[in-house]
Amino acid sequence: MLPGLILGGMYALVAMGLTLQYGVARIMNLSYGEFLVAAALATFFLYTGLGVSPLLGLLIAVPAAYVLNWAIYQLLLVPLVRRAKNRDMLEVDSILATFGMLFVVQGLAHVLVGGQYYSYSYLSIPLSILGSTVALNRLIALLFAALIGLALYFALTRTRAGMAIRAVAVDPVSAGLVAIDVRRASAFAFALGGALVAAAGVLVSVFLTLNASMGVVFTTKALIVVIMGGVGNLLGALLAGLVLGLAETAVARLIDPGLTLAANFALFLIVLLWRPTGLFGGAAR
Amino acid sequence: MLEVRGLSACYGKHRALDGVGLSVARGEIVVILGANGAGKTTLLKAIVGLVPPIRGARVTLDGSDLVGLPSHAIVEAGIALVPEGRGIFAELTVRENLLLGAYAARARLKEASNLQRVLGLFPRLEERFRQVVRTMSGGEQQMVAIGRALMSAPEILLLDEPSLGLSPLLCRELFQVLAGIRGNGIGILLVEQNAKQSLNIADRGLLIETGRIVGQGSAAELKDDPAVRRAYFGAAAPGADGATGSRG
Repeated sequence: MLPGLILGGMYALVAMGLTLQYGVARIMNLSYGEFLVAAALATFFLYTGLGVSPLLGLLIAVPAAYVLNWAIYQLLLVPLVRRAKNRDMLEVDSILATFGMLFVVQGLAHVLVGGQYYSYSYLSIPLSILGSTVALNRLIALLFAALIGLALYFALTRTRAGMAIRAVAVDPVSAGLVAIDVRRASAFAFALGGALVAAAGVLVSVFLTLNASMGVVFTTKALIVVIMGGVGNLLGALLAGLVLGLAETAVARLIDPGLTLAANFALFLIVLLWRPTGLFGGAAR
Repeated sequence: MLEVRGLSACYGKHRALDGVGLSVARGEIVVILGANGAGKTTLLKAIVGLVPPIRGARVTLDGSDLVGLPSHAIVEAGIALVPEGRGIFAELTVRENLLLGAYAARARLKEASNLQRVLGLFPRLEERFRQVVRTMSGGEQQMVAIGRALMSAPEILLLDEPSLGLSPLLCRELFQVLAGIRGNGIGILLVEQNAKQSLNIADRGLLIETGRIVGQGSAAELKDDPAVRRAYFGAAAPGADGATGSRG
């Protein structure tokens, strides 16, 4: 149960940033996972090279990723937003552009750190809780994922700026009619999504072994969770992430670890057949 | 005062608006009558920046130019649109829709008092305050749409066929509410198919046909104009060809 919850919590955290980028800014970011890997590798070098603890690394990586993603939106994506006649066109254009960005980021990572695997040991103290043995670092990662998710949820549902972000996700034209600057809100959502994926990268780096070309794995997992939960729906991403994590762990434990990916996609298909717009997807997509 | 001069707009090669001019003062209701496809919706969209006007147009509110501004800046200037099909945030609650209406900086200070006024206007919305809008009836959704527009503390309120899909009873209520909004000193530009009821509450009317203003007059004059009666009041209507109205 607990390992499934940890895995699910990570999935949820990874997916929340993508659901903001895709749901609000309508950018289907295929290079999403590369930014996770970049943050994880940066944490590795900060920790092993400079002795900066990963939790302190969060305070560096998250604001840096926010600024970087904001700049990417303004410089690379705003031209696409300008020329797109509607959001569907923007979606297609953004897929092509971010597919290119994937190779740029991955290439840069390869040049800087090479293709080998990296991992480090941080608080890997075994604890036995509720009948299962879990490393302390995983528990800390889960705790931080939960805190970040909760903070984001409250920010989006309880504040004026958060409400504006959700309004853009629901209906960007109407958002303009209530004086929301849709382009600014989109840039903010994209940058916030980038900050979240950096946070996820820092947190998974404490217990996962990673190399520079693993980003795609995270992008696909995040995509599955986002679509399962309903595009742009934070609560949906949270729930879908948890369900996926628990299902994968259960299948690995009870049936065969080789079947996790199959279970993953089976669940994805069932949800989509049952509710084509996702668990929390609206009627108007 | 909202003033529009020489406003034209195109969809591809199709000219949907051709040199439209009109004005709406505070505390006045101006109704635009016209058949489907005459350009009524395009006119409202062009005023709020959702459709780009062709060069040479002038849209001003109290003298300051609005042409070329994005729609969020036009709301900020004091013009609110209740669009065709309402354009409310269906997945959000009544409360969230209304509070988002007050997102404009011009409306934030007065948010609490405007909310009280809107809930006074539509007591039903207070009962349904926490309900998700998608689950509500058409009439209630229209209240949310108008309430949300009023929350932005507009000088001029534009409405695109607000009576569409409402029962006759709700229609009458709606037009009474609009008259009440005018009483608060807000100017209203109303696009309607329901000519009879809208002329009953309007001060002035304009007739639009294939993108041009083809006639205008006071509401009383238009109500008595035989061409208008023939074209819009449901009596045997062989098209709107003769609708010239009385000029003035």
